[in-house]
Amino acid sequence: MDIGLGHYLTVAACLFTLGIFGIFLNRKNVIVILMSVELMLLAVNINLVSFSSYLGNLTGQVFALFVLTVAAAEAAIGLAIVVVYFRNRGTIAVEDINMMKG
Amino acid sequence: MIYQAIVFLPLLGALIAGFFGRFIGPRPAELITSGFLVIAAVLSWVAFWQVGIGHATDKITLMRWVSSGELDVSWGIRVDTLTAVMLVVVTTVSALVHIYSIGYMHEDPHRPRFFAYLSLFTFAMLMLVTADNLLQMFFGWEGVGLASYLLIGFWYQKPEANAAAIKAFIVNRVGDFGFSLGMFGVFFIFQTISLDAVFAAAPQHAGKTMGFLGYEVDILTTLCLLLFVGAMGKSAQFLLHTWLPDAMEGPTPVSALIHAATMVTAGVFMVARLSPLFEYAPVALQVVTLVGAVTAFFAATVGLVQNDIKRVIAYSTCSQLGYMFAAIGVGAYSAGIFHLFTHAFFKALLFLGAGSVIHAMHHEQDMRHMGGLRSKIPITWAMMLIGTLALTGVGIPFVAGFAGFHSKDVIVEAAYAGHTPFNYAFWLLVIAAFMTSFYSWRLMFMTFYGRTRADHHTYEHARESPYVMLVPLFVLAAGAIFAGFMFKGLFVGDGYKEFWGKAIFEGPGSHIMHAIHEVPAWVAVSPFLAMLAGFGLSYVYYIQAPWLPEATANAFRPLYLFLLNKWYFDELYDRIFVRPAFAIGNFLWKKGDGAVIDGTIDGTANRVLVTANNVAKLQTGYIYHYAFAMLIGLAALITWFMLGTGGVR
Amino acid sequence: MSALAVYAPLLPELILALGAMALLMLGVFRPEAQEEAGRIMWLAVAVLLASGFAVLQGAGKQQLFDGAFVIDSFGRFMKIVVLVAAAGALVLSFDEMSERKALKFEYPVLVLLAATGMMMMVSANNLISLYLGLELQSLALYVVAAIRRDSTRSSEAGLKYFVLGALSSGMLLYGASLLYGFAGATSFEAIAAAARSPGAGQDLLLVFGLVFLLVGIAFKISAVPFHMWTPDVYEGAPTPVTAFFASAPKVAAMALFIRIVISMFAGVQPQWQQIVVFLAIASMLLGAFAAIRQTNIKRLMAYSSIANMGYALVGLAAGTVEGVQGVLLYMAIYVVMTLGAFAVILAMRRDGTAIEDISELAGLSKTNLPMAFAMAMFMFSLAGIPPLAGFFAKLYVFMAAIKAELYTLAVIGVLASVVGAYYYLRIVKLMFFDEAGQPFEPTLPKERAVQWVAMVLVIAFVLPIISAPLVEAAAAAARTLF
Repeated sequence: MDIGLGHYLTVAACLFTLGIFGIFLNRKNVIVILMSVELMLLAVNINLVSFSSYLGNLTGQVFALFVLTVAAAEAAIGLAIVVVYFRNRGTIAVEDINMMKG
Repeated sequence: MIYQAIVFLPLLGALIAGFFGRFIGPRPAELITSGFLVIAAVLSWVAFWQVGIGHATDKITLMRWVSSGELDVSWGIRVDTLTAVMLVVVTTVSALVHIYSIGYMHEDPHRPRFFAYLSLFTFAMLMLVTADNLLQMFFGWEGVGLASYLLIGFWYQKPEANAAAIKAFIVNRVGDFGFSLGMFGVFFIFQTISLDAVFAAAPQHAGKTMGFLGYEVDILTTLCLLLFVGAMGKSAQFLLHTWLPDAMEGPTPVSALIHAATMVTAGVFMVARLSPLFEYAPVALQVVTLVGAVTAFFAATVGLVQNDIKRVIAYSTCSQLGYMFAAIGVGAYSAGIFHLFTHAFFKALLFLGAGSVIHAMHHEQDMRHMGGLRSKIPITWAMMLIGTLALTGVGIPFVAGFAGFHSKDVIVEAAYAGHTPFNYAFWLLVIAAFMTSFYSWRLMFMTFYGRTRADHHTYEHARESPYVMLVPLFVLAAGAIFAGFMFKGLFVGDGYKEFWGKAIFEGPGSHIMHAIHEVPAWVAVSPFLAMLAGFGLSYVYYIQAPWLPEATANAFRPLYLFLLNKWYFDELYDRIFVRPAFAIGNFLWKKGDGAVIDGTIDGTANRVLVTANNVAKLQTGYIYHYAFAMLIGLAALITWFMLGTGGVR
Repeated sequence: MSALAVYAPLLPELILALGAMALLMLGVFRPEAQEEAGRIMWLAVAVLLASGFAVLQGAGKQQLFDGAFVIDSFGRFMKIVVLVAAAGALVLSFDEMSERKALKFEYPVLVLLAATGMMMMVSANNLISLYLGLELQSLALYVVAAIRRDSTRSSEAGLKYFVLGALSSGMLLYGASLLYGFAGATSFEAIAAAARSPGAGQDLLLVFGLVFLLVGIAFKISAVPFHMWTPDVYEGAPTPVTAFFASAPKVAAMALFIRIVISMFAGVQPQWQQIVVFLAIASMLLGAFAAIRQTNIKRLMAYSSIANMGYALVGLAAGTVEGVQGVLLYMAIYVVMTLGAFAVILAMRRDGTAIEDISELAGLSKTNLPMAFAMAMFMFSLAGIPPLAGFFAKLYVFMAAIKAELYTLAVIGVLASVVGAYYYLRIVKLMFFDEAGQPFEPTLPKERAVQWVAMVLVIAFVLPIISAPLVEAAAAAARTLF
């Protein structure tokens, strides 16, 4: 069986869905949410690279590099905010992030 | 130049009193606003003379306003007979109310603010009546609504006044919704909202249809009905009338100015102004007649049993506005405006007179606690008597009489000549005339005659009002006596076409104004007979046999309660708008929040609150719920496209 | 020299980026910088104004970086609005920064960085530059939301915003990757050309890409149902930050939205129009209903901004020049009204603590009439009552929708504004008709200045002298996209 574009896209779609579900099914730890976000971005990268290879142009790979860079910055900022939050509340359980509502 | 002066003097007064009232003190603020209004009133009569007799119609452009693509709107003053008549009514009554308020409000610490609002209202009303395009009319329309909101709620310490102000505003928004839809529709169909251009193009669109919300409908009928919804809201017509009686919580001069003489007549004015549109929408005109006649009848029945002196007059206003619409609906625009003109005088007179009574009775408004006041406040009594004679239409048939005699009789004749099915309009109006007479005399008898039911202290201290309050009454009384007799020839006489010029348009097949003169004699005297019967019955009930009202009420208890509770309209709206919302809320959320409804505001507002509560409950504060909502949104959009409705097949 | 001259059109962005870095250095290396946070704020305002001045010098349409960055009069209009909004929000934060030391000197620096990102969003003409601009803005905003490190609410706001923002970025990026796969290129022109080919509307890659991309942007303008973060973040973030959130980022994201659907997806207008109509209706209705029961004024403003984005989208749904012109005007007027309202909210202070309860506004007309009057004008304008600016904003978008035959949308819009008027008027009623409570502290000159300038603009918009240039500029800007 040949592995074609469709397979890569399917894998990426699965990963992306996993990432999204990770965000709203997880009720315990915010770190898991950060990991889910990374998963989504990586799924996108798979998409970009496989399209790039399939179409034979490099723009997709350049895009993927930019996404990696931004993802690193995003993770850094996300962790920083989690640390600040932990200092204030002493917990990072997703269920407890509920001071403001209505 | 005089037109600019008429329109902008009230604004100037409002600005001075509003912004500098605190520095210059209440008395100068009163004098400045009142002085400006008197000048404007004098100029208005000059303008009336020039336009009505001299036919000096004109159009003045003040500035360009909006320009976006095809929409090009300038702010102008349209000077024709209809404008001139309205200018006279608005500025005259407003000037008198300003003067009267100096006396009536003399104990109030916020007088500059009050006078600023009054002048601001007058300015907005003048904007409305001088409008040259629909947008300017809408500005004035919203402006008077806002000023009325401020004035009804002027005594903000009174919770009823607050609730009434909000109720008035919300019910009026329903009407404004119709007006703005109609305005958008006019722009869409005609590509312009300038009145002249719309009127010129109206005949071409007669009878054509368009798609609206999925239906094929007649263009002009739809537009006219939408605009008429706006008129119904402003003029407190049947179904949208609930705010007017509640608005009586405001100071009495406000009731006289806004809720009798000017703002509530804006709807009548608007329909008359748009006569070139309505004439090509016969179905819409039939609706106008129906609503007008039903309102005249309905409000009169409720007026029969009310005990608050101001509410009786308020329902009477509602009823008289119904007369005006009925006249306009059968095509007798000039008759409707004539009644508007005379009604302004005698209704303002009645309100200000009632204010004088209330003033004398230390803010007592319940007629059950009055009586026997004729000897205490004879001048007020005389003025109220004149107002009542004018309202009930006392006069000698075929000769002359008080103001209402001329204007109301013309309307009743027009209703007969208009050939409604079974002559329903005619009969409803005649019966309403009978009831008008009954409740007006009931008011007089309960207030001024018999033995007093007031407590001893109040009765002993009842004093005639100061002259600053009485002089405006004299002027209005003169109007109530002579306005009908003097202006009948001009407004609805043989030369009416010359007088109105192009201000009022009558369709090519309209002969209503001639048909009026050919009605049978029994039709012409029927309102007179109805008036006599009403007076007689009232006399028997409240002078001859004072035990009769009680006995009648007990004998026909359900009917009495039905009328006393104003046909259960407030309860009905509660049932229609509030309860289903609760049912849905219970169904969806398994628990209704009964405490939310406190019944102080309108049913519509309550429904909004319920929805609001439930929407707020969705905002749980949990991140995963928020993410889930986003996912639902995304999935919904994707599904929409996948199912083929969106384009992917 | 000539090589550098090519980048002259980039001057506004360069000023911002270099200014941000310079101020950061200043703050880091000067030991007393924290004491002088107020001064750094003024410098940041100066940088914003200098950048705005540079924007005004531009003319015509230019493209840079192989077409990834486009400068046209649409971009100039939106950039000016963004810069004015950012500068206004910064001025409002002066008290928090210099008097009460609640905000660190990093705040203006982050605002400058966010503004740089917004400028890139406005000018983006390529999926890559779009993503980079958006992320530069978002990353700065995440930090800004959580800038009060010692406050639980502020850090919770930051965390919520971050998590949901990352989710929306992921969706947007996924859409971008699909679009790249569809067109084989990332520039807007190439995608537009591919989308114009017959049958493109049935292509799954394009439709999915369109939906995911628009969802990501809908999050940024907080359109329903992607709005859930808005009330919580508005409430939790420090008030000057909320003022910033409510103004500049919305304008930039709306500019991005307009450019994408008008120039990139012109070929599939029926498809995106449905999405925009859906977002508009949902936002207007939810914004109107949810705001009514709010007791916190910042949450109220959050729902108000959700509803306002819905009204702006009504104009975009029309997809015509008039519609886009309406949206541009709407955003400009919205920024003025919002900043004015926040200038009042910031002035609600008693004994050094900020008051956020709506009921505390009761009787304000007796204790501070000018402020009550200004607030009333903003509320009336937001409610769309003529002749204030907000009425014209709504008039333009509704007119455009009706001309595009979107009657249902216009009817729902007018209905929603009727409901919406209720809660705006409730505030007016509170201020003018209710018993006065404790007076607030005297208003600071900066807040008063913003209040008065905004109020004058809102009232004076009815004069053609004020409105005509703005309307003309918006019309010219809208035409460049078609």
